Amino acid sequence: MPKVARLHAILWGVFSMGGFIAAFLLPVLIYLVGIAYPLGLWPVTNEDPTSAILNHHHIGTLFLFVTVAGSLYHGIFRFQSTLTEVGLARAKRALEAIGYLIIILGILATAIYLLQYNPSFFSLP
Amino acid sequence: MSKEKPFPEYRRKLGPGWWLSNGHFTQYMIREWTSFFVAVFSLIYIYELSLFASGAKDSALALMRNPGIIAFNVLALLFTLYHASTWFYLIGKVQPIKLGKTTSKPWQALLLNIVLLLIISYAVIQIFIVR
Repeated sequence: MPKVARLHAILWGVFSMGGFIAAFLLPVLIYLVGIAYPLGLWPVTNEDPTSAILNHHHIGTLFLFVTVAGSLYHGIFRFQSTLTEVGLARAKRALEAIGYLIIILGILATAIYLLQYNPSFFSLP
Repeated sequence: MSKEKPFPEYRRKLGPGWWLSNGHFTQYMIREWTSFFVAVFSLIYIYELSLFASGAKDSALALMRNPGIIAFNVLALLFTLYHASTWFYLIGKVQPIKLGKTTSKPWQALLLNIVLLLIISYAVIQIFIVR
């Protein structure tokens, strides 16, 4: 398989994995963080959901990283492709470059912020 | 051998509104635009994480209570659930399971995965919030 085709296969594979993550894990995160907590709906307690999740050190940090990084990859990858279908086909290369830049910076930022909040992540539980 | 093709490839030119001419195309485009909500929610949440990490927890919580952000989150949840249902249906179409002489239908994969989504969501709530 040519190198470019192999790279494409890997990128689309990660996109597909991100699709599963966005389908199975993202809805509950949006509900807890973005709707239930600010509106005081079930099952939110006095503690905000992000702190509650991050207080479960390893598994909580891993859950947030996988959900946010996977969803970001899937969302940006698909959205830049969608834009080429609504009249921006000429800017395909530029959109791809901006898209991958946002993905890389976003995933790095997520990892750094989560490690800042929970520096003992790499120590054994 | 010349690289020039003997017959030029015909590419039909499509305007930006091509997907409005047919119900299937419109449905396809709505499905693709779910990615906008997935991506923007992720970026907003990364910003909230940055506020948490820098110790500005109050600012992060104030951002979560912003009515505009809450309204966006409601839309994001609806679109993400739509993404989930189309993704689950697609799994059933792409990878049908053969059991003896019968083959699974896409709606069965949709139903099974919705049940799985509910179980996972409930487990996340139990593990991280209720305990």
